[in-house]
Amino acid sequence: MDKLIADLKKQIVDQLNLQDIKPEDIGDDEPLFVEGLGLDSIDALELIVLLQQHYKIKLESADDGPKVFRTVKTMAEYITAHQPKNV
Amino acid sequence: MMEMFIRATGNISPQKTFGHVPFLNEPVEYFTNRLSCIEPDYKNFIDAKMIRRMSRIIKMGVAAATECLQEANVEMPDAIITGTAYGCLEDTGIFLTKLVEQKEEMLTPTAFIQSTHNTVGAQVALMLHCHNYNNTFVHRGFSFESALLDAMMLLSENEAKNILVGSVDEITNTSHTIINRMGLYKQIPSSNFALFSSNTKGTIAGEGASFFLLSSEQSENNYAQLDALTTFYKPKNINEIENQISDFLNYRSTSIDEIDLLITGKNGDINGDKIYEEINETLFKNKPLINFKHLCGEYPTATGFALWLAANIIKTKTVPSIAGKISVDNKLKKILIYNHYQNIHHSLFLISAC
Repeated sequence: MDKLIADLKKQIVDQLNLQDIKPEDIGDDEPLFVEGLGLDSIDALELIVLLQQHYKIKLESADDGPKVFRTVKTMAEYITAHQPKNV
Repeated sequence: MMEMFIRATGNISPQKTFGHVPFLNEPVEYFTNRLSCIEPDYKNFIDAKMIRRMSRIIKMGVAAATECLQEANVEMPDAIITGTAYGCLEDTGIFLTKLVEQKEEMLTPTAFIQSTHNTVGAQVALMLHCHNYNNTFVHRGFSFESALLDAMMLLSENEAKNILVGSVDEITNTSHTIINRMGLYKQIPSSNFALFSSNTKGTIAGEGASFFLLSSEQSENNYAQLDALTTFYKPKNINEIENQISDFLNYRSTSIDEIDLLITGKNGDINGDKIYEEINETLFKNKPLINFKHLCGEYPTATGFALWLAANIIKTKTVPSIAGKISVDNKLKKILIYNHYQNIHHSLFLISAC
């Protein structure tokens, strides 16, 4: 799980082109949207694509978005629970 | 037509033109057929959260527009109008490349959203929370001219008092490679300062973001008065060009003798420059004349740089030596800019002292 969280942080910084933020600056339980990293709806689309590209996971329902993308840790937990076995 | 003035400017170009810098007294020499802009530290002008999604041309445009508005001390323009021929090429290239590489699946939204031609004008409006008139013109070599004409008409019709109008175009590696392959650029690199003595085909690529605050109000801070602008398309011969220039001046009740300085768009291509040289021997004979594309390169909205140059010459009453060995004094009243883009898009600007 720790490696997955570290990988996710790096992928988020790269995919969203976050300026002046290093992967290690993002807390595992830090909110990604609004009061935390301050991400917005366009970033949410980028994160959905990130899940598909890197982990071959399609979000089952748009309603799950706020829960899945709440923090890096919740993303990692969702990936662990849904990742296909051969990836 | 009512009077309209250039109140302020903001210009990012391959020369040191951005910020509070002396007027072209440290010209930058290049030994390549591609002149890239000298860019500032954008963090001083653009919010870090917004900057991460902006490609180079958007940052250039937003920074030039911001500087222009700050100089004019105008927080909310009545209209924002931009002209661009190629738009946001870098983002266009990114999303098209992903489209191919990823077989039209899993495409990210940012590059697509930012790739539209009106992104610069829209980003400026977003930053200002400006809900006023916002338009972008994409007409190849007439893009900036169309934007300016729209601004002039809005001012004439009293639809606006202060208008932010600008030109933006960028070179990317892909666009440069493609246009280079078409033979538009010089194949042997040489100094941009020697552009007009090369006697070869092709020119040098350029790019830039030039913004102007056009106002219908008199102010002691105004750079210059924008008297008139016209365009003409694919003239048949030199006679037609001369007639267009004469008609333009006649329409403004101005004779060629009243023009104190000519700025022409020579770009070092022997074919295109023939037109300027022929007119220099007839209509413009014995008139003080300077060029500008050795400073900014050739691009479809390069007249934005020319207008910036003219406005600054009138304001400072000096012609930078890199533009031409011409001494002017307080008598300098009128400047005529004549430019053509590939002998297809021809434009004329008449600017005068306030």
